[in-house]
Amino acid sequence: MFDRSPEGEGEALRFDHTLEPKTFLGLSLKLGLLNLVTLTLYRFWSKTEVRHRIWRAVRLNGDAFEYTGRGVELFIGFLLALLVLGLPFLLLIFAVQFLGPAWGLLYLPLYIFLFWLWGFGLFTAFRYMASRTTWRGIRFRLKGSAKSYGLAFLGYNLLSGMTFGWFWPVAERRLAQMIWQDLKFGDRPLRFSMVQAEKVGVYGQYAVGWFGTIVVYIVTMTAVLAGMFALGIAGMENPSSTDLLILQFAPLVILAAMSPLFALVWAPYKAAMMRSIAAGVGFDEARFRLKVRALPVWWLTVTNIFFVLVTFGFLMPFVQARTARFLILRLTSEGTADLAAARQAVAGPRSGEGLADAFGFSAI
Amino acid sequence: MPARFHDGREARAHPAEVAVDDRAVHIAADGCEHNWPLKAISIDRHGGEVRLSWKGDRDARLILPEAEWIALAGAADGAVGRRDRRREIALIGALAAAGAAVAGFVFFGMPVLSGPLARATPTGYEAQMGENFDAQLAVAFPSCGGEAGQRILSDLGDQIGGYADTSFTIRVRAVQAPMINAFALPGGPILITDDLIRDLESPDELAAVVAHEVAHIEQRHVMQAVWRLLGMGMVLDAVVGGGSGAGQQAVLLAGQVTDLNYSRAAEAEADARGMELLHARGMSSQGMASFFARLEEGGGGRGEGARPAAEFLSTHPDGGRRVRAARAMERPGSAALDDGQWAQVKAACETGDQPRVRLPGLPRGGRETSGQD
Repeated sequence: MFDRSPEGEGEALRFDHTLEPKTFLGLSLKLGLLNLVTLTLYRFWSKTEVRHRIWRAVRLNGDAFEYTGRGVELFIGFLLALLVLGLPFLLLIFAVQFLGPAWGLLYLPLYIFLFWLWGFGLFTAFRYMASRTTWRGIRFRLKGSAKSYGLAFLGYNLLSGMTFGWFWPVAERRLAQMIWQDLKFGDRPLRFSMVQAEKVGVYGQYAVGWFGTIVVYIVTMTAVLAGMFALGIAGMENPSSTDLLILQFAPLVILAAMSPLFALVWAPYKAAMMRSIAAGVGFDEARFRLKVRALPVWWLTVTNIFFVLVTFGFLMPFVQARTARFLILRLTSEGTADLAAARQAVAGPRSGEGLADAFGFSAI
Repeated sequence: MPARFHDGREARAHPAEVAVDDRAVHIAADGCEHNWPLKAISIDRHGGEVRLSWKGDRDARLILPEAEWIALAGAADGAVGRRDRRREIALIGALAAAGAAVAGFVFFGMPVLSGPLARATPTGYEAQMGENFDAQLAVAFPSCGGEAGQRILSDLGDQIGGYADTSFTIRVRAVQAPMINAFALPGGPILITDDLIRDLESPDELAAVVAHEVAHIEQRHVMQAVWRLLGMGMVLDAVVGGGSGAGQQAVLLAGQVTDLNYSRAAEAEADARGMELLHARGMSSQGMASFFARLEEGGGGRGEGARPAAEFLSTHPDGGRRVRAARAMERPGSAALDDGQWAQVKAACETGDQPRVRLPGLPRGGRETSGQD
C-alpha cells in the first residue's frame, strides 16, 4: 500500500469500491426526516453526508477518495447567492409590477443574464467539488474561467435552440472539455482530447432520441385520445365529478407512463455521451474508459425515477449511491500515471454551490 | 495492514508508527513526528479502517485498521464519538429552531403584516400594478363587444363604488373567458366573465357580484395577497430552495394551504362588506344568497361529508356557510337594473363576432379559482 516508486514512474490506475447502496436506506430515512424537522435547512449537511459516504467508498489503487466539504460551506454559499442574486431578482420582478409596462422589457436582458449565471454557477459548483475531493491527502483543483464557461453555456444553449437541439451533442462535449482540461490533481493536470472523445459516435444515438421522442409523443397522444373516446369523456358538455377527476390526474398518469419510454429512446445517447467524455479524459499516459450501454443506463434511470417518486424523494441518497456504484463498476483505465509526483494544490473557495443550488443543479 | 500517513503535501503514503496517550495521537512517519491533540481530531470509519485528521494540519491523514486504533485509543475513541454526536445534536437543534422561526414568520408574521403593508402601499403604485395586470389579462380575456351593456356595468360599479371607502376608481367591464368568475384587480378594475353573466339570473345577483368585488378593492385584498405571497415566496424559496425532494414539497404545500386559509377569510369579509355597500346604496342584497345557492347546487354534486375538505382546499368559504351567512344579512331594496338594462347586460357578450371558447372539463356552475375573485 506504500508508494515507494520513484518520481517519474507511473502506476496503472485501478478503480474499485466498497459501495453498498442498501446501507444508504437507513441514511435516506434519517436525512429525509431531519430535512423535514428543520424546514429543509439540513439539506446542506445531508448533501455533504451523502457525498462523504460515497467518496470514501470509491478507491483508486487501494486508497479511498475523501470528500472534505462541510455543510456550513454549502449553507454560506447558498446565503451568498440569495443575497446577491435571489433577493435583488425577486425585488426587481416585484418592482416592475409597480412601474409602467415598458419596464417589463428589463426582463429580456435579465433572463439572458440568468442563463449566463446558470453556466457560471455550474462551473463554480464543479470547482468547489473538485477542491473538496482529495486522494492520498491531495486536493483536486479546477482552474479555468467560470465567466467563460457561463458565456459558452449561454451561447451553446442558444445554438441548440436555433438548431432544434441538433447542436447539443457538440455543446455537451465542448462544455465537458472546458471542465476536464482545466482540472488538476494537486499540481498535475488532467487533459481532455476532443479527438479521442469524437471517436465515440453520438449523433446516431442522438437521432434515435430526437425522432424517438416524436414517435413516443404521437403514440402516447393517440392512445390518450383513444382512451378518452373509449371512456366517453372527450367532447363531453357536462362531465361528472368522476370524469373531472380522471381529467385532472390523467396528465400525471400519462407523464408517469411516458417517462420510461422517453428514457428508453434517450438511453443510447446518454450512454454514448458518457463513453465519449470518459474517452476524452486523460492523466499522464493513462486514458479512461466507461463501459456503459444503453439498456443498463435505461434500467438505472427508470428504477431511480421509480424509487424517488414512490418515496417522495426520501430515497434520493440511495439513488445517488447506486448511480455512483453503477459508474465505478464500469470505469477502467489503460496506461499509467505518475500519481505520486502530485504536490498539494492551493486551497479552494471557502463556500460553494450557492448559484448552482439556486438553479436546482447538483451533480450529487 | 500497518498504519500509513499522508502528509498532505505529496501523494505518497508513508508507513507510520502510532502511539496514543490521554492527550494526543503521536505519529512518527518519514523521519518526522506529528502530535495531534485528541480534542481536535476527527475520525472517519469505513471498511474496517479509520481515517484520522486534525484541525492543525487539515490536509494530513493517518489511516490505520479500526481494531488497531481502538486498541491504541481505548476510552479516547468513545470520547471523540460522543463529542461528534453532541455537535450533531446541537446543529440539528439550531437548524430546527431556525426553521421554526422561519415557519412562524411565513405562516403567521407575513399574513399579519400584509394588511399594514397593503395600506402603506401608495395608491398610485397599486393602481399602476392593476393597470399592468389588466393589460396582461386583456390579451387572454378580451372585452365583450356590447357597448351598451358595458356602460351599464360601468355605471353599476360607479354606483356601488361610490359608497366604498376607497380613492380608487371602480371600473367594471365584461370579458370573454372560459370560466364562471369575476376578478378584482389592484387599484379598481373589475372583470366579469361572459360565462358568469350568462349564469346570473337577476340584476340583484349581478349587483351582489359587483359589490363583492368592490369590497375586495376597498379592503385592498389583492394588495394584501401580493405582499403575503411575495413574503411567503421569498422566504420559502430562500429557505427551501428550488429542490424537488420530499421536504421541499411538503413545506411548499404547507405554504399554499396557509395562503388558501387567508384567501378564504378575505372572501368572507368581501361577502359581508359587499352586502353593506348594497344596503348603503339602498339596493336589494337578496341576490347574493341566491347566487351562492345556485353555485352550490351546480358545484359538482359534493356530498355533505366532502364539504369540509372541499372548503379547505378552496379559496372560497364553503358554499353552504356562505349561503347561510348571506341569508342572515340580506335585506330587500331597489332593483339594481331595470328590465331593459338587464337585457342589455345579458346581451353584452352575445354580439356574435367573438369566438366562444370553452376549455374541456370545465363545468358550468363550477368555480375557477384565480386571483381575488
